[in-house]
Amino acid sequence: MLRYILNRLFYMIPILFGVSIVVFLMLHLVPGDPARLVAGPDATLEDVEIIRSSLGLDRPLPVQYVSWLGNLFHGDLGRSARTHRPVTSELRLTVPATVELTLAAITIAILLGVGAGTIAAVRRNSIFDYTSMVVALLGVCTPSFWLGLMLMLIFAVKLDLFPTVGRGGLDHLVLPAVTLGAGAAAIIARVTRSSMLEVLNMDYIRTAHAKGLSAQAVVVRHAVKNAFIPVITVIGLEFGYLLAGAVITETVFAYPGVGRLLVDAIGYRDYPVIQGALLLLALQFALVNLVVDVLYVFFDPRISYGK
Amino acid sequence: MKPLKFLGVLLLAASLVAAGLCSCAPAAQPEKVITVAQYADAVSLDPQDTNDNASYSIEKPMLEGLIGFNEKMEQIPQLAEKWDASPDAKVYTFYLRKGVKFHDGTPFNAAAVKANFDRVRNPDNKLKRYTLYKIIGQIDVIDEYTVRFTLSEPFGAMIATFAHPAGGINSPTAVQKYGADYGKNPVGTGPYKFQEWVPNDHLTLVKNPTYWDKNNAAKVDKIIIKPVPESGTRIAMLQKGDAQFLNTVPYPQSDIVKGDSNLSLVSTESIYTYWISMNVQKKPFDNLKVRQALNYAIDKEAIIKAVLRGYAKQAGSPLAPQVWGYTQVKTYPYDPAKAKSLLAEAGYPNGFKTILRGADSTEAKEVMVAVQGQLKQVGVEVEILSMPAATLSAERFKPLAENKAEMDYSGWSPSTGDADWGIRPLLTKENWPPTNFTIGFYTNAKLEDLVKAALQTSDAAKRKAAYAEAQQIIMDDCPWIFLWTTYLLGGSRANVGGIAIQPDGIGFYRSVYYK
Repeated sequence: MLRYILNRLFYMIPILFGVSIVVFLMLHLVPGDPARLVAGPDATLEDVEIIRSSLGLDRPLPVQYVSWLGNLFHGDLGRSARTHRPVTSELRLTVPATVELTLAAITIAILLGVGAGTIAAVRRNSIFDYTSMVVALLGVCTPSFWLGLMLMLIFAVKLDLFPTVGRGGLDHLVLPAVTLGAGAAAIIARVTRSSMLEVLNMDYIRTAHAKGLSAQAVVVRHAVKNAFIPVITVIGLEFGYLLAGAVITETVFAYPGVGRLLVDAIGYRDYPVIQGALLLLALQFALVNLVVDVLYVFFDPRISYGK
Repeated sequence: MKPLKFLGVLLLAASLVAAGLCSCAPAAQPEKVITVAQYADAVSLDPQDTNDNASYSIEKPMLEGLIGFNEKMEQIPQLAEKWDASPDAKVYTFYLRKGVKFHDGTPFNAAAVKANFDRVRNPDNKLKRYTLYKIIGQIDVIDEYTVRFTLSEPFGAMIATFAHPAGGINSPTAVQKYGADYGKNPVGTGPYKFQEWVPNDHLTLVKNPTYWDKNNAAKVDKIIIKPVPESGTRIAMLQKGDAQFLNTVPYPQSDIVKGDSNLSLVSTESIYTYWISMNVQKKPFDNLKVRQALNYAIDKEAIIKAVLRGYAKQAGSPLAPQVWGYTQVKTYPYDPAKAKSLLAEAGYPNGFKTILRGADSTEAKEVMVAVQGQLKQVGVEVEILSMPAATLSAERFKPLAENKAEMDYSGWSPSTGDADWGIRPLLTKENWPPTNFTIGFYTNAKLEDLVKAALQTSDAAKRKAAYAEAQQIIMDDCPWIFLWTTYLLGGSRANVGGIAIQPDGIGFYRSVYYK
């Protein structure tokens, strides 16, 4: 098992290397001149050229890439073209904020999604089933932009229960986490329900009922665990997407996360920040996938990774 | 013991009365804090390395220039008490205010001024405002409080260039100390001092208790600026009281702020003019009659009303009224019949097909769609190309041979507040892309002469006369479809005053107070 994990970690290196090359090349294919954008709309050509040379963008592409890669091995991701702050410090400020928000969101999504999905499956065709699945459908369809503003208007402005924006204590986290988690909760609920329905029709469930186990024990001990493989896959994927896709929620709640950093950077073609942030997001995504694969073993003993 | 007790009772009574009388007033607070929800975070706090209004809005309460602007964009003395300019617009002498200290205790004097401008005009420092001040050839410290600038060539708009927000004076000690990180540790002379900056989260300014101008000292203890990109969120913050001022309120949301008795809408006539440039090097825009026709074909008032909710007025010049040197020339009234006959005279009785490019903001798209509809009435088929800022900028700054420009919806605000920066970068041949923003590739020999002549003198009357003629030429020659000058909207809590958005789009936060 340990060997498997080490192996997987090792394979991340070529993956991240590939990501860095693809990102680098794509950035330079996208129209937009970072020097011009950094210099501002009323800059003269001379200003732009000075900035271009200070950003090192006047060098040939391979030289730029190799120098970036070389610095990377020293733990140096360069400085933002726009703010001149080191990319590592930009990430250190924003990534923990986004991880915190995403963890809160995925927790809410798992509790709601698995809970509602399980009950809906067990009480199939009940009122609860119908309403929860309709709500889930709405959850998938609701743009987080709208949901965030509505939650803010109701719970922050009208009811005065939570602060409107920013990062701080748990109270700051509730509304953005619900906004971010709503879509994931809906997807998890639907996957849980269908997976549970499949499992509940299995022979061993009938056997478990037959041997006199309480309905609750059957569901919790036998059904949920076996139904969980697809659910855990979806949770892992959602978690990865949320980490990278929190930008709308972060924007609505003025939350200082990596999504906003990245989107701002893309708007200004701030190459060092984009490269650094995407590399880190790719790393996070790969790690989450690894965790999911390891969790499979726990939920399904038939899956094993070597001796 | 007794007096203390008495005081306590008095305080209790006072606070009870205050609470009873007016539930809107906050209970006696030890600290007065103003939170500003601003559309974007600062990029840098080094004025010499700044080119965005979000950063300048935050720098302004901390850093003052030799000359400043008041809320109407009129030049006022700040760190210089007075100044004079040689008639040939080459030598500028400033007589500095005495007894001023930077926040770090460094004395403000001629040497500090020299150090500041020597820094920005040195290309090795790679500062964004290099070209603004590179014209300075020599700086002499005449005495402790007199400094003389000699330019390498005459430049009549130099006083306005000193008043530009990039002319904010930094503590030379702090610049030395922080080096490349000075932009995160600004030290100036203003009524507020820098305290902390957590990027994308908040930035805190605190009162400078030893500010030199007692009449304009800080009236609150702290100003916290929070970057809030989403306008709906900014309004929610204002409604809840989590923010006391918003920069900015988009026009479609102005009614929400206006309709709430706890809030007030703060409107400022801006120095932004909006226009559609036409590529005069290309057919059919090389024909004056076509350009005139398009000016008559657009119903500016209707678009102002529908898209800008009335917060604009029709442009009567390429410059906005509050720009120094502005002259009201004329407007082109909405007259589709005249437009049609002009098009026919120009040889396009059935109109033509063209492309209109512009930004991808909701407002820009709405304007472009309205223009498209109106031009269709006179037979001109417009295809709209709205692009994200980075792509648009890349397209605009291509040289003529590669540039696909036909019509381009854009706007401009001359940040020096002077006519020179409202005309020269936009309408002269030496400023064709990729050099600067003459994105319609316009040139006119007479205009170029006038613009140059206006820079050869420091005589205000002569300069004004030259710009008046220049504006007349531009309005007659129609390199643009002239649209409007906008109003800028901020929102504040009703109990807050002294805060607004300046005509140049920079926040004016330094005088904020609780009513």
